[in-house]
Amino acid sequence: MNKAIISLIGSLVLIILLNSKMGDIPPLGKFLNPFHGFWENAESRSASEEMELKLEGLHGEVIIRLDNNLVPHIFAGNNYDVYFAQGYITAKDRLWQMDFQTRFAAGRLSEVVGVKAMELDRYQRRMGMAFGAEQMVKQMKKDPVISRVIDAYTAGINAYIHSLSPEDYPIEFKILNYKPEDWKPINCALLLKLMSSTLTSGSDEFYMSNILNKYGPEVVKDLFRDYPFREDPIIPSGTKWNFKSLAPPELPDTLLSSPVALKQKEEGIGSNNWAVSGSKTASGYPLLANDPHLDLSLPAIWYQVQLVSNDMNVYGVSIPGAPGVIIGFNKDVAWGVTNVGADVLDWYHIKFKDSTYKEYWFNNHWNPTKQRIERIAIRGGKTINDTVMYTHHGPVVYTKNQKPDNFLKVANVPEGSALKWIAHMPSNDVRTFYMLNRAKNHVDYRKALTYYTAPAQNFVFASVYNDIAITPNGYFPVKRKNQGKFILDGSKPVNDWQGRILAEQNPTVKNPTRGFVSSANQSSTDPTYPYYINWEFAATERAIRINSRLSVMNLATVDSMRSLQNDNYSILARNILPVMINAIQLSQLNSTEKAGYNTIKKWNRYYNAHEIGASIFEIWQKTLIIKIWDDEFSNKNTPMRLPSRDRTVELLINEPASKWFDNVKTPVKETRESIINDAFKFAIDSLSRKYGVLGKNWEWAKVKHSHVPHLAKIGGFGSKILYNGGSKHAVNSLGESNGPSWRMVVALGKRVKGYGVFPGGQSGNPGSFYYDDMIEPWTNGKLNDLLYLQSAKEPSARIISTWILKK
Amino acid sequence: MLFVFILIISFFLQLALPWWIVAIVAFAFSAWKAATGKHAFVHSFTAIFLLWVIMGLIKTIPNENILANRVGEMLMLPPSGFTWVIVLLITGIIGGLSAAFAGFAGFYSGVLVKKKEINKRLP
Repeated sequence: MNKAIISLIGSLVLIILLNSKMGDIPPLGKFLNPFHGFWENAESRSASEEMELKLEGLHGEVIIRLDNNLVPHIFAGNNYDVYFAQGYITAKDRLWQMDFQTRFAAGRLSEVVGVKAMELDRYQRRMGMAFGAEQMVKQMKKDPVISRVIDAYTAGINAYIHSLSPEDYPIEFKILNYKPEDWKPINCALLLKLMSSTLTSGSDEFYMSNILNKYGPEVVKDLFRDYPFREDPIIPSGTKWNFKSLAPPELPDTLLSSPVALKQKEEGIGSNNWAVSGSKTASGYPLLANDPHLDLSLPAIWYQVQLVSNDMNVYGVSIPGAPGVIIGFNKDVAWGVTNVGADVLDWYHIKFKDSTYKEYWFNNHWNPTKQRIERIAIRGGKTINDTVMYTHHGPVVYTKNQKPDNFLKVANVPEGSALKWIAHMPSNDVRTFYMLNRAKNHVDYRKALTYYTAPAQNFVFASVYNDIAITPNGYFPVKRKNQGKFILDGSKPVNDWQGRILAEQNPTVKNPTRGFVSSANQSSTDPTYPYYINWEFAATERAIRINSRLSVMNLATVDSMRSLQNDNYSILARNILPVMINAIQLSQLNSTEKAGYNTIKKWNRYYNAHEIGASIFEIWQKTLIIKIWDDEFSNKNTPMRLPSRDRTVELLINEPASKWFDNVKTPVKETRESIINDAFKFAIDSLSRKYGVLGKNWEWAKVKHSHVPHLAKIGGFGSKILYNGGSKHAVNSLGESNGPSWRMVVALGKRVKGYGVFPGGQSGNPGSFYYDDMIEPWTNGKLNDLLYLQSAKEPSARIISTWILKK
Repeated sequence: MLFVFILIISFFLQLALPWWIVAIVAFAFSAWKAATGKHAFVHSFTAIFLLWVIMGLIKTIPNENILANRVGEMLMLPPSGFTWVIVLLITGIIGGLSAAFAGFAGFYSGVLVKKKEINKRLP
């Protein structure tokens, strides 16, 4: 009797435990069972050669041919079917990534991972991500062409989701133990807004306000200049502006202070692109190159696709979850993007009437706030209702004392301030890509760009008619100079954005005399451009290197483009290393330090994988920068940011006696020379401690240890440690886990030819041979030939599988 | 013989039903056929251990074990080219134990039912 009951209860408990997720451990019985668990996701190397599927919702037959990188080449008779098929096949390869990123953007991760994502969800909601996506959907609905594209793409994704049984779910669903839900048009908008968020959410207003309060306007003017000491702008200096600008109202800055911390703009989120005119190429036709840098992850950020319909044949990369091609080419044109870094996020200090936050002071009277209630469902817990107050500027991200402690992401949010952000704007950016995918010439390109809002990008362009062009493009609000360098007074109408710079007045250049156009996130223009876009852009080092190489290039080929994308030369080292080496006092060095000194003296200034000099320089210059600024600009109670690298370089080279070299926290007086020596010794010492005796283990690749992590950081699902060169301030901006998320080179001509590679693979399944098959060519700096088919029937040895989708 | 029954029936039922059906199968067959608790335990374990290991092998070999090796790392096993073997053994053991305890419980429940029936028949 006893034995029966005890063993029965024990057995039941065991089964229940093995069927439930406990903490981060998946439900083991369910997960390991080879009939429906993870073993089902183990794919074989070979794919079936022919497949026929019946899909409800299609208007005609669609042929999808998969090549040996698993890139789908989609042939459809009309545009509805082509986007339907794109949705279907993208979901087949990337469903979990699409689901997870949408949840991340919308602030809905708690629904699947529980309370640990609650603050993150709350932050995403309060920043207005879902609000912005709703605005975008409204705008897209007004455009019948685009709303049909979105509907078709959505229907395709859902056709795939509905075909799945639980054993077919991507492995991450099984690990986290949840089900995919139906796709909705707003998900497309959320993913596009997520890109906006990644590229435009850095803000320095708090730091800058704090610095202004602590050191006054003279120091701000000296250390945080509005134009770099060395610059080579995107639109070549001296280009004339052939329009009359609408001047924004002039007004002295109203300065507010608020003791808050900030997340610093992450370097390594930048990009390169350029186009070379036929006059400088071997073929006589233009070459175009692009490599957007992002935080890398697996499944890969981009998804390659060729889309062919009655009015288009385009190849390139798409964002999984958004229709069309974002960066790519067709038979006539090619285009690419890099981030502009425009000042499109402002904080407005708000005066509320009382602690109910129902009214705020603006334009000399009290105005009502609007309330938006965010419901955050938490797995294994209850649903939280979070009320966000909206002013006409935008959401008050955190009111007084509402900000969570110990949550790094919110460090840059000033309490009680409203957020005005480009990501909240109604926009129809899909239209731009829809038109670029079909563009035939420069006129089409210019027209397509007028529809684009955010994140503002430098759109580079080349056509088979030998036109090249570049346009820093997006919705640039009309602001007075430096409006938004500091927190703004939210009660004055004059501080509001005053409309936008007309799209045709966005800076642009076509066929400049130098024979190439390029961008690397540096200043858009020289100071003569009549509008304010931002007071600070990314450091100009990559731009200088690209432009100096392109200007001497003749008879350029695809390989010259590839070699430039993989250029590891450090302009920073060229600029400051002579001063640093000169300052070293040899008599003070011990034997290891001497060996280090001899190594770096001989270093060629390339961040190549095997260079030991690069490892020493990297730590040396980083330590030096901290030694210069940290004593004055790092303070827990009044968080600030450091002056730019450009200003630091200028200081090191031209102002050897500057007071900033002294460490104000020590009684002795430090000099430029003494801190250079200290930083050098620190660098050698820290390398010795971590990597032993100076030798192979000090090689840059081993110190950097590049890798591509999994999107949800699931152990074992990321890449191995990779042996490669590159640096955040080299053209090949390959850091520890950020860098070129796609490298593309397009050779225009009678028959266009594309080359490209990304760090990952087409499949999002860690159990697929196509999950990371492109990492190796990528890390070795190679490009794959992109297969650009002219028709569904064109024979190609690279096609491994053909799918026929029937209605 | 017991383990052959459990293995074959579990195979067919698992094609359509959730994984824990193996426990029900082991329970039922042990209640009916097992001679002792140990007999039930060992045969149930062996049946499902073998079934899951063989099915796992069928899936993982064409995959060249790439997924099982990754899952091994996820489960904090030391990464090596053979991590998948450990994952496969864990799979077999988890499945085997789920069945074994159910079989054990099945045997004693069977004893209980049989005793009651004997008691009923007594005058």
